[in-house]
Amino acid sequence: MKRELAESFFRHEYGKLTATFSRRFGTRYFQDVEDAVQSALLKGMQTWPVSGVPENPSAWLFQVARNSLLGELRKRSNQGRLLQEHSQDFAETSEGVAAPSELQDNLIQMLFISCDHSIPINSQLVFALKALCGFSIQEVATRLFVTEENAYKRYARARRALASDSIAKELSNGITHTQYALRLPSVQKVLYLIFTEGHLSTHSNLPIRLELCQEAIRLSKILAENPHGQSPSTFALIALFHLLSARMSSRQKEDGSLLLLEEQNRSQWDQEQIKVGLEYLAKSATGEEFSRYHAEAGIAAEHCLAPSYSETRWEKIAELYQLLDRVSPSPLHRINRAMAVAEFKGPQFALGELSEFEPPSWLSSSYQYYAVLADLHFRSKKQDDGARFRKLAIDSAPSSAIKKLTKSRLDRY
Amino acid sequence: MPKQNYLCIQRSPAGNCEPPPPSQMQEMFAKFQSWSEKFKDNFVDMGGKLAEGGKVVGAEGTVDGPFAESKEIAGGYMIISAESMEEAIKIVEESPGIGMPGSTVEIRQIQTP
Repeated sequence: MKRELAESFFRHEYGKLTATFSRRFGTRYFQDVEDAVQSALLKGMQTWPVSGVPENPSAWLFQVARNSLLGELRKRSNQGRLLQEHSQDFAETSEGVAAPSELQDNLIQMLFISCDHSIPINSQLVFALKALCGFSIQEVATRLFVTEENAYKRYARARRALASDSIAKELSNGITHTQYALRLPSVQKVLYLIFTEGHLSTHSNLPIRLELCQEAIRLSKILAENPHGQSPSTFALIALFHLLSARMSSRQKEDGSLLLLEEQNRSQWDQEQIKVGLEYLAKSATGEEFSRYHAEAGIAAEHCLAPSYSETRWEKIAELYQLLDRVSPSPLHRINRAMAVAEFKGPQFALGELSEFEPPSWLSSSYQYYAVLADLHFRSKKQDDGARFRKLAIDSAPSSAIKKLTKSRLDRY
Repeated sequence: MPKQNYLCIQRSPAGNCEPPPPSQMQEMFAKFQSWSEKFKDNFVDMGGKLAEGGKVVGAEGTVDGPFAESKEIAGGYMIISAESMEEAIKIVEESPGIGMPGSTVEIRQIQTP
């Protein structure tokens, strides 16, 4: 009988097995763990088409990877010492396969451990994509628009930190309850970054981008099932992911160029994703916590529920941007709010709100800031200022797709 | 014309090469599976991978082999049945293993008396 493997089976097994063996054997053997898992996957790929996929392919890989890891460690190190250290693992050579729930718990624990504050967030991101999602360094580099060398450096940095004594100890003793709670925001941040890399990137390859978004959703759902990750903010994060995913395919034309919100065909928005997103949003509304993800998911929900651009509840959106700015201050939220305000109070009022606003230098020279100013000036019939900001916006656009989008938006005036 | 059996020996360059990333393994697995589905009536013995290292037995004794200096290592074998060498070539050509760099397959008809 022919058994099919789940989508991305090899990648996902890689993450779970790597996390599980790192936990059982210690992060200082991380490289050996990765090699053993990789070779087990290779063996499965080579033998299953001939022998048929085993009934429990996950358990099969577990056994093969463990045997190869034990073989390698035995070869290298003093057998007596290793036997003592890992007596439990040696004892269960035939039946000690980790249960699916244990594998998922280990994956989440690894995520928390790799979000240690001693590891820069850039490295945390690469580590999560490589070790937990099973992408190769080359695939990570393509997805993050960085060189392979750079991706590898970031990865190596995380791996070095994981091999340090303090983290190795933490792994064997388990993270404390307090540490879990303290690190949850970092874990959510990394998942958010994985998602935005897929959602906001101007990569013309839509499947690649969607895959990143799906990875973020998959990991955050595993997180939500874990007692340490089950929080209103995690539910809000999942809601946000679904509500943004619903609109992704209609944001981009086949040639890779982007479409403005008002140009998008709303009937193409994925209603199933919207439904799931709203369910998680309702779930996130329990308890006292109001995170930036609550605000962002709220904004995304307003857009998803509006029958048309002009019928959008801009007042509500402006209010949510204000809340967002309060829980997670960023000048970007101020200019986004101004755009929403312009829709119900007029462009001149919005310009007035921005008149006292002093953007930091990274924003004041960005295409986003100039585009907002150009738009609001044109709409206030100030053609000269509008044209000036239009030129600045187009000149500072970071990619050709964004340049085209900015032009198409501003050339209406 | 009755079908003939052919021995296929897969050879690849000696030395360890980097294993493909998991996403690629998934693709290769899928290709291999649909290939073996397509030609399932042609497989006499699906064969398998050959373990590394072996022995060479001769009149003068037994030595380790295959020789370390050989550039290519026989990595796997299988026996297929086909109407002709042309058909056998076609089956092997469509095999996903052919795409791997440096990998070759030798096809030899097994003679029957």
